[in-house]
Amino acid sequence: MISDYLMLTGLNILLAWSVYVILLSGSLSFANGGFMGIGCYAAGVVTVKLGWPLLLALPVAGLAAGLLGAVVGLPALRTRGVYLILVTIGITACVKVTIESIPYLGGVQGFGGMGGSALWQVWGLVALVGAALFALSRTPLQRILDAIREDETVARCLGANVVYLKVAMFGIGAALAAVAGGLYGHYYVFVTPDHFNILVSIYLVLYVILGGVNNPWGPALGATAMSLLPEASRVLQDWRPTVFGVLILGLLLVRPQGLLPFRLRTARPPRPRP
Amino acid sequence: MLAEQLLNGVIVGGLYALVALGYTLVFGVLDKLNFAHPDIFMFGGYVAVASLVLGAPVWTTVIVVAAVTGVLGLLVELASFRRFTAPDAHITAALSSVAFGLIIVDLVQKQWGSEPLEVPLEGRSAAIVALGVRLAYVKLAALAATLVLLAVLYVVVRRTRFGRRMRAVADSPVSAALLGVNVRAVTQLVFFLASAVAGIAGMLRVTITGFATSEVGFTFGLKALAIMAIGGMGDLRGAVLGGVLVGVVEAVAFQIGLGQIADVAVWVLMIAVLLVRPAGLFGGRHQRETRA
Repeated sequence: MISDYLMLTGLNILLAWSVYVILLSGSLSFANGGFMGIGCYAAGVVTVKLGWPLLLALPVAGLAAGLLGAVVGLPALRTRGVYLILVTIGITACVKVTIESIPYLGGVQGFGGMGGSALWQVWGLVALVGAALFALSRTPLQRILDAIREDETVARCLGANVVYLKVAMFGIGAALAAVAGGLYGHYYVFVTPDHFNILVSIYLVLYVILGGVNNPWGPALGATAMSLLPEASRVLQDWRPTVFGVLILGLLLVRPQGLLPFRLRTARPPRPRP
Repeated sequence: MLAEQLLNGVIVGGLYALVALGYTLVFGVLDKLNFAHPDIFMFGGYVAVASLVLGAPVWTTVIVVAAVTGVLGLLVELASFRRFTAPDAHITAALSSVAFGLIIVDLVQKQWGSEPLEVPLEGRSAAIVALGVRLAYVKLAALAATLVLLAVLYVVVRRTRFGRRMRAVADSPVSAALLGVNVRAVTQLVFFLASAVAGIAGMLRVTITGFATSEVGFTFGLKALAIMAIGGMGDLRGAVLGGVLVGVVEAVAFQIGLGQIADVAVWVLMIAVLLVRPAGLFGGRHQRETRA
């Protein structure tokens, strides 16, 4: 039981970070549920149909979804605000219906036979990605990304390659979501396209917004809280969606900036050479 | 057969249009997406069934549905939109309304269960046959009701003082407030109107299909969101034309056995429209810029 909770929490932290990575460059993605689904099915096909080991299948899934994310992101990231929300929701919807209509992947009935993701793999990846995110927050790249997030025009005028960075971060986020999706599928053994619907994408964004968008701790805390709180007691489980909803409504009203809104200190810029 | 399917498409398209109009009215005034809207639509169907089960006549039921869902809309405004007024708070507001929708769905499932609920309506299957087309009376009534609602909405938005205030707020909340428009009252009325119309649309859908289900908000209601974007966000004619277009395309696709494709087509079309023509297929002069 404990290991189930740990597994779920670890996966949700990874998925929350996949949204956070994209948000670093200023785009809020509701497509990560879809990328998670792509990764889950890609990894599943590679292990079940081709017989590869899981640890080789995960990079394949990540690469496939990352490339797809970059290709889709190039036009999609031209939109912003409410329009970007709608476009990324549309991507998730398209992924779900596309998987449903491919008989090779089991269609609506689902796809099974995977297995073998272990707790250490998930939490090892959490440690790895976490370390990378904290390392990133010490580099000048974080400042450039912050500039893009605050004002794209200013960032572009200061010489940042805005399009390249936004597309790259979108691709990286998609890849991370796909790897987490692969681990998800190989833990639950059997998945259906409905596991990756729009509501899942919305939940992932919620973890990030509730936790705070300015540092990697926020999404991790949001994902942990939202994974464990509903499991805390029997009553909460019976009323799970309502408790969830009331919690979100309340938290957003009390702390619209998230639970941990602080920023991490970035490294000092290098001294200009004389 | 094709004529019948086309007619069905128009009827369903009219329902899409009614729901999409609710999104578009709220978006026009606040620039924000109301994700509780599809669930209010779903809730309207259940309220209708509950009222009919208690033996209320159809007319009373319509009024009850409109009142209950309208008040629910006011609650959504209070909980999910009142506090988040900043222009960049659209994500907070959207997520907050998602949470509100979750609560609605869960409470509906607690009260009525997750199985489809049958509508106790006498003579639901009675139909007329004209020119080889078979048409159930309830569908005819739904079509008539849709047209009446669209006409009422048109008159309210275009020909009344409230409509003028609403359009002023949609144009610029600050200028409207400076000119003496009570922006909050207008916003509340818009939420009431949008939700009541969605509730009645939910009732119409329930009477057509014969069942109330709790997933309908998630499927039908979200598709209406895509339709709103296809027609043009904040554009009333766009929502109507987009709704009918999608309804007919879906009906025809279903007829020739491509129902699955039609499901993707709506979203692909929406993405294409947002990328190429953010003002929407039928979008008007303003909103040519992609708004932040």
